[in-house]
Amino acid sequence: MDNLKGYQVKLDAFQGPLDLLLFLIRKKKINIHDIPIATITREYLKHLNQEEKIDLEREAEFLFMAALLIHIKSQMLLPRENIPEEEDPRQVLVERLLDYQKIKAACSILRGKEEEQMQKWQRTSLPPLSLEDDIELTEVSLFDLAEAFLTLMKKKEKENIQFIKGKEFSLEAKMKEMLAYLEENSFLDFLDYFNQQESLEEAFVSFFCLLELIKVKIVIAMQESLFHAIKVWLRKESS
Amino acid sequence: MKIHPKHIIESLIFISLEPLSLDKIKSVLTEFSDKEIEGAMKDLLENYTSNEKGIQIIQAAGGFLFSTNPEHDLWIKRLLKFERKYRLSSAGLETLSTIAYHQPITLAEISALRGVDSIHSLKTLLQKKLVKIVGRKKSPGKPLIYRTTDKFLAYFELDSIKDLPSQEEILKILEEEKNLD
Repeated sequence: MDNLKGYQVKLDAFQGPLDLLLFLIRKKKINIHDIPIATITREYLKHLNQEEKIDLEREAEFLFMAALLIHIKSQMLLPRENIPEEEDPRQVLVERLLDYQKIKAACSILRGKEEEQMQKWQRTSLPPLSLEDDIELTEVSLFDLAEAFLTLMKKKEKENIQFIKGKEFSLEAKMKEMLAYLEENSFLDFLDYFNQQESLEEAFVSFFCLLELIKVKIVIAMQESLFHAIKVWLRKESS
Repeated sequence: MKIHPKHIIESLIFISLEPLSLDKIKSVLTEFSDKEIEGAMKDLLENYTSNEKGIQIIQAAGGFLFSTNPEHDLWIKRLLKFERKYRLSSAGLETLSTIAYHQPITLAEISALRGVDSIHSLKTLLQKKLVKIVGRKKSPGKPLIYRTTDKFLAYFELDSIKDLPSQEEILKILEEEKNLD
């Protein structure tokens, strides 16, 4: 049915408003350095109106660009006194488009390289031979750990208004305790474990222990996927 | 039988799961001079340049790695019962190339360059270990900054970040596109 109206390109086909603009510039054979803003805005809005269903998040990005185009047009219409002649209100947009155009071009070269690489197999690129429903774990970085720890500590801070000083925690003892826990439970849930700590001080000591154990490669911190629960495992002997 | 450094290097590359750098090879082959090793490496690469072999040596991410001959793709897939490898999505590739050319870069900067919010693409790239967090920017909000990884280089068979498509190559593509219209 849509075909009755001739050739149409859905918004979904575009990465974003810049992509759509570049498409229109090419279609209308417009010189990118001298864009007729009125024409391009009209074309651009026509495309937006073709959309039937609305994806708010995407729509917002496209609408923002429409507003920008209209703003540029209005600036060009208004008599300008204090602004030097050379300053073109289109300049910023043109630079963005040129930058974006380069990225797109680089993408098409990289896509070709990817295609070539797909035909070459290395042992590193072999698909995992494990069961399908096996969870793929990724090792977490120091940033992930620190981030998780900080959020937790902020939460704890509020609860821990008063505490009685007395017990001191040694790194060594804590490390042993942590390892014993791991031997028994095979893994340790980062959040749960630190939530169980009695005081801020104890939690800090535990965190340093964990970092040390990771550093000397006795344990490994993994998560199922980004922003998922972090779990700590004992490293298996490789021999 | 005399042991030739060329053959040792071949074994070392064979056993490596990651691209093996020349420096690493030198640090292992202590019995040979740097010059001997470089010569042997060149020799070895020449042995592998012909297309008649099943195995090739590729140079990526600053090292050497064995890879199968692209012409044998069909049979490898048959052996592994593997339909196809997954390509990056358009959004993913665009985000990745934005990072590659503008690194170190923050999420906000990536989104500004692309004109769209890039958080989802970025998350996927982080998961695939094609990009990594390298720290925080010293600006309001201290946003995280990102860079591409060695895995990224290996993925596109680039030896270093300098081997990304150059300005000239990019301009050529743009010129070609213009002529297509």
